[in-house]
Amino acid sequence: MSAGEPMSGAAATLDRPAVPARGARRGLVARLLWSELALIGGRRRNQAGLAVLAAVPVIMAVSIKLSAEDEGGGGDLFSSITSNGLFVPLAALQVEIAMFLPLAMAMLAGDAIAGEANIGTLRYLLTVPVGRLRLLAVKYLSLCVGALWGVLTVAVTGAVIGIALFGVGPMTTLSGVQIDTASALWRLVLAIGYLSAGLAALGAVGLFISTLTEQPIAAAISVMIFTILSWILDAVPQLDWLHPWLLVHHWLAFADLLREPIFWDNLLTGLGVNALYAAVFWLAAWARFAGKDITS
Amino acid sequence: MESPFRTHPRLRWAVPVLAVVVVAGGISLGTVGASADNTLGPRTPQQLLVDVQQARLTGLSGTVVQTSDLGLPDLPGLGERSSDLMSPLTGSHTWRVWYAGPDKARLALVGTLGESDVIRNGRDVWVWSSDSKSATHYTLPADRSGPASGSTPTPAPSGGVPATPQQAAEAALAALDPTTEVTSPGTTTVAGRAAHELVLRPRQGGSLVQQVRIAVDGSQHVPLRVQVFSTRRAEPAFEVGFTSVDFAVPEDRQFTFTPPPGTTVTDKGSISSADKAAPGGTAPPKASGPGGAAGADAERPRVIGTGWASVIVADTGQALEASSSGSAGGSAPGDLDQLRGVLSGLPKVSGSWGSGRLFTGTLFSAVLTDDGRLAVGAVEPQRLYDALSSR
Repeated sequence: MSAGEPMSGAAATLDRPAVPARGARRGLVARLLWSELALIGGRRRNQAGLAVLAAVPVIMAVSIKLSAEDEGGGGDLFSSITSNGLFVPLAALQVEIAMFLPLAMAMLAGDAIAGEANIGTLRYLLTVPVGRLRLLAVKYLSLCVGALWGVLTVAVTGAVIGIALFGVGPMTTLSGVQIDTASALWRLVLAIGYLSAGLAALGAVGLFISTLTEQPIAAAISVMIFTILSWILDAVPQLDWLHPWLLVHHWLAFADLLREPIFWDNLLTGLGVNALYAAVFWLAAWARFAGKDITS
Repeated sequence: MESPFRTHPRLRWAVPVLAVVVVAGGISLGTVGASADNTLGPRTPQQLLVDVQQARLTGLSGTVVQTSDLGLPDLPGLGERSSDLMSPLTGSHTWRVWYAGPDKARLALVGTLGESDVIRNGRDVWVWSSDSKSATHYTLPADRSGPASGSTPTPAPSGGVPATPQQAAEAALAALDPTTEVTSPGTTTVAGRAAHELVLRPRQGGSLVQQVRIAVDGSQHVPLRVQVFSTRRAEPAFEVGFTSVDFAVPEDRQFTFTPPPGTTVTDKGSISSADKAAPGGTAPPKASGPGGAAGADAERPRVIGTGWASVIVADTGQALEASSSGSAGGSAPGDLDQLRGVLSGLPKVSGSWGSGRLFTGTLFSAVLTDDGRLAVGAVEPQRLYDALSSR
């Protein structure tokens, strides 16, 4: 029953699961990932969360359409919405990346380990002969897919409602240069990828927190506190030495994709910081989870 | 494979810690390594000045980061939006620069969710602001080439003085010598490129400027970075330098600007030589002349002291506490009220010269006396008081 044994505790019905052949194990991992995604997608609360994420661009687009000719107000992405429907998903992402998307990520991450432990399914999961390292990898992969899922929901809903209400055409970049529709769509795709990477890095933080507790709510709230605290620290000018190391500091750099030519400096720094957070916190999650006594 | 972790479970925590250490080490090694492979030979200040003059820059593009810590009080409304062209007075700012010869240049101030651009192509100059969705067009006079909006110094052909760059360098160094110690202590790395450093240090005491360091690219001989150090800070009080630079000539499309639909376009027409100094930002050679003539009753500003310790004393023509109707400023009453509010937050000082408000920044100090005299200099406040009493 020592903490060092990965299969110790109540879950250790088998002292050591029989190691299946390599090919069979890869199949198992894929199946585990698939069932994990089905689980995430099937949960009512997650579906409700996606509906909320999708509602924001719709509300924004409709209210701007109704109050049309009311120029100005809000950020630059907002004031451009009437000129091109593709600004709806971009403005919606700008709004939701601050709070809603991290909240969705926090919910998923809370469920990942702490949620399983809370309803007592974690020990059954550990009887699947894939090992804790792989299980953690599958859990993180599913969180990454979840991040893309959330961002795509916002962007696709926004693009559809935006094009329906405001039409689409050449897009005016922040640099005042127009780009054609195809390249504007490509920029939107890049923005989706960039913001998903940022959320996936937050997912690693969430996965680590999720291994610390058996209360999914506590884990989700902790991830939100981490996010909000990061935004607050990012807003304190006296801490400017810290800003480049904050995860959230680089998220709004997705607007650099809307310059002509694209300004890669901050985006690449952002991706680097994402990778750093993902690696460090995933390893910390592993350090915690691999040696944890699973009793529930 | 996992056996050490099995016997010592806590050892697992070493892995994420190691990841942090590796990244931190990689970053510090990266900066050290970059400066280590600097193989430039020594260069005297004179040689450096000659290099800079002989540099033939065909084109460049890059990113410039500028940070200022001038110790200015926070002015509400100044630099609120990070892409506002007035905001560089405070904080840190990123510029993108494209340059393809003196008549083709583009400068973009990168804000968080906005951008301001200045684009020059031939005689056309466009100023674009994404915040206000406005574009302003200026036309430069055809006969003379105006100042390049790029950051590259094009040596002004001043009336037939030194014939060769060598003579010009000698003349410049001779002129600087009484007040300034000019050295080239070694090399540095800017934007991943090896560069020589030229250091100017005031010989006199009393100046707030401790030194000015200029990094000159080792192969292209273009200044890559300027740092101004204050006697009050360890970090540079003002710094502007490339963080990345590419000396390939940028494509022509970087310099073409057509106002996008939905833009407020203002055509300011051709810029006459009289008001040219305003947008270009280059001060005319005889700085004291036109400024004094513009103010109606204002006394001509006087310069007291020499070199780095000079103090400019000017009469603003209106007492601090008196009401507006600006004769010299010409700013809106709202701005004036705001200015008065800021002034009242500054410490009150007095002496044999009278009394007034003192501003002490990292690179300059200023005293505005109650009777409307203004003394400014890159000096300690005591020098300002001395200058004010020596009227």
